[in-house]
Amino acid sequence: MILKLILKEILHRKLNFLLSLIAIISAVAFFVSFFTTSEASKRETIRLTRDMGFNLRIIPKETNMDKFWLSGYSEKTMPEEYVNRFMAHKDFSYAHLTATLQKPIIWKNKQALLIGIAPELEPSGKKKSFMSFKIKPGTVYIGYELVKSLSLEDKQVIVISGKSFKIAKCLNETGSNDDISIYAQLTDVQEILSMEGQINEIKALNCLCVTEDNQDPLDILREQLAIVLPDANVIQNKTIANARESQRIMIDKYFALIMPFVVIVFAIWIGALAMTNVQDRKHEIGVLRALGYGSTKIAVLFLGKAIVIGLIGAAVGFFIGNMMAMSYGPGIFKVTAKMIKPLYNLLTWSLVAAPLFAALAAFIPTMIAVTQDPALTLKEE
Amino acid sequence: MIRLENVSKIFRTRNDEVSALNNVSLKVNEGEFIVVRGHSGSGKSTLLFTIGGMLKATSGTVNVCGMDIYKMDIKQRANFRAENIGFVFQMFHLVPYLNVIENVLLPGGTAKKLSLNKSDAKELVKKLHLEKRENHKPSEMSAGEIQRAAIARALIIQPKIILADEPTGNLDPENASEVIGHLQQFHKEGGTVIVVTHGTDANQFADRIVQLKDGCIVDS
Repeated sequence: MILKLILKEILHRKLNFLLSLIAIISAVAFFVSFFTTSEASKRETIRLTRDMGFNLRIIPKETNMDKFWLSGYSEKTMPEEYVNRFMAHKDFSYAHLTATLQKPIIWKNKQALLIGIAPELEPSGKKKSFMSFKIKPGTVYIGYELVKSLSLEDKQVIVISGKSFKIAKCLNETGSNDDISIYAQLTDVQEILSMEGQINEIKALNCLCVTEDNQDPLDILREQLAIVLPDANVIQNKTIANARESQRIMIDKYFALIMPFVVIVFAIWIGALAMTNVQDRKHEIGVLRALGYGSTKIAVLFLGKAIVIGLIGAAVGFFIGNMMAMSYGPGIFKVTAKMIKPLYNLLTWSLVAAPLFAALAAFIPTMIAVTQDPALTLKEE
Repeated sequence: MIRLENVSKIFRTRNDEVSALNNVSLKVNEGEFIVVRGHSGSGKSTLLFTIGGMLKATSGTVNVCGMDIYKMDIKQRANFRAENIGFVFQMFHLVPYLNVIENVLLPGGTAKKLSLNKSDAKELVKKLHLEKRENHKPSEMSAGEIQRAAIARALIIQPKIILADEPTGNLDPENASEVIGHLQQFHKEGGTVIVVTHGTDANQFADRIVQLKDGCIVDS
């Protein structure tokens, strides 16, 4: 009976229902689109900063640092097995880990940087998306300048130092030494350069080690690495790490600032509409009381309506919020555009939080309805 | 059936006190038809709602069907009302978004479940000459029809008592006469009726007329 009354009343007072529904839809759509795009923003920042370099670069100890900073790679090498030693050390944690071997070569009378990339290693127990190229054996990615000057095309077969490769992708212009780089799988590059089992850099993203509060993590990391990898030197790109962290904190702060404002505005909106509804229905409440309806049933009548509005609003708001994120997100976050996808766990959150929010907003009007003296109302003829 | 002893009701505002009922004692026997008359503000409606268990007296006792209703808690009193008392109001107070049958069945959703079914409601609606209006909402009906639907809602629970507050106040003489006729029919079938009214339409059926003035019974 109560559900029937709720639904019939909703159909009867359509404007009140629609205005309340719009409030919930707006709040949920705002939350969903903002949260989805802010996640995209975080991914975009990680992607962009990754393309500038990894957080942690581990290079051979005897590297000439002047030359390293000039050329961007170490001319010395270290055993590839160092990657396994790094992974095996329990005090290090990282998000992404890979090893590279880079050497300048002359190819077709052009200076090129040959870069072998090992398949990325995931931290144990964690599934991560790949942060670097996933290159199949026997294929290469070719930099823009080489493609342009040698008129290369995708799927073309090329020969480097007597070994055939298929071009998996011709890269776009980057304005960096990537434009003269040839990326291949590590084992292929090791074979070409006759440097089997050798690498000249380990790259680790979001790499951390266990430290006390008053210790510099980089000092401890170097100390620990000196034990695990005695022939390696570690460089941390603090600027990138800090920028990434600042970006994340900025988004979180923005979200924390704007959400309470949105919640308060929509709560007042819904509360005011619920109050109007109680005023419109005071005689109905009075007569229901006269017929023997108790306080609980009267409260359920109003809170139930709020919950119905919350549920419908959550579903529609989630759909609209995602549509907004899908429509505008890719235009804003171009690098990770394809990664902007609906976050379905937000639907569960919305379906729980929105009815709760609507019920809380309608709580005071409901209490007014419940405590209203039916005799005084019915005497107002 | 109904016994009020030294009942007073005082409404307190921030700066004032209004005595709506002043030491009222009244006995209504089972099956009696009582008309309560008096000017506006004389305490007629207050008396009716006090008997109906909706307005607690400031002092005195209210016994209905052998129960001191204000010794019950709110829930018990609501159940008692749902099972024993039918209300009819001047402004009808049908629920605007329900049709006649749904309005008549409304008491079925009260605290203590009453076994009301649609066929009983339809029969009652037919008895009150509303069979062509059973799927109509109040906004699609005349005042007389709405008040008859309100009487059907009061009768569906087969109450022991009907309390009617100015039931003909918004009706033309023809409809007023029909409404009073239905209350009279309930009375004839053994029900107890208390009608609060300004008018004289119910006088002819009244077993007794109670005159209220300034919250006191001046003539009974």
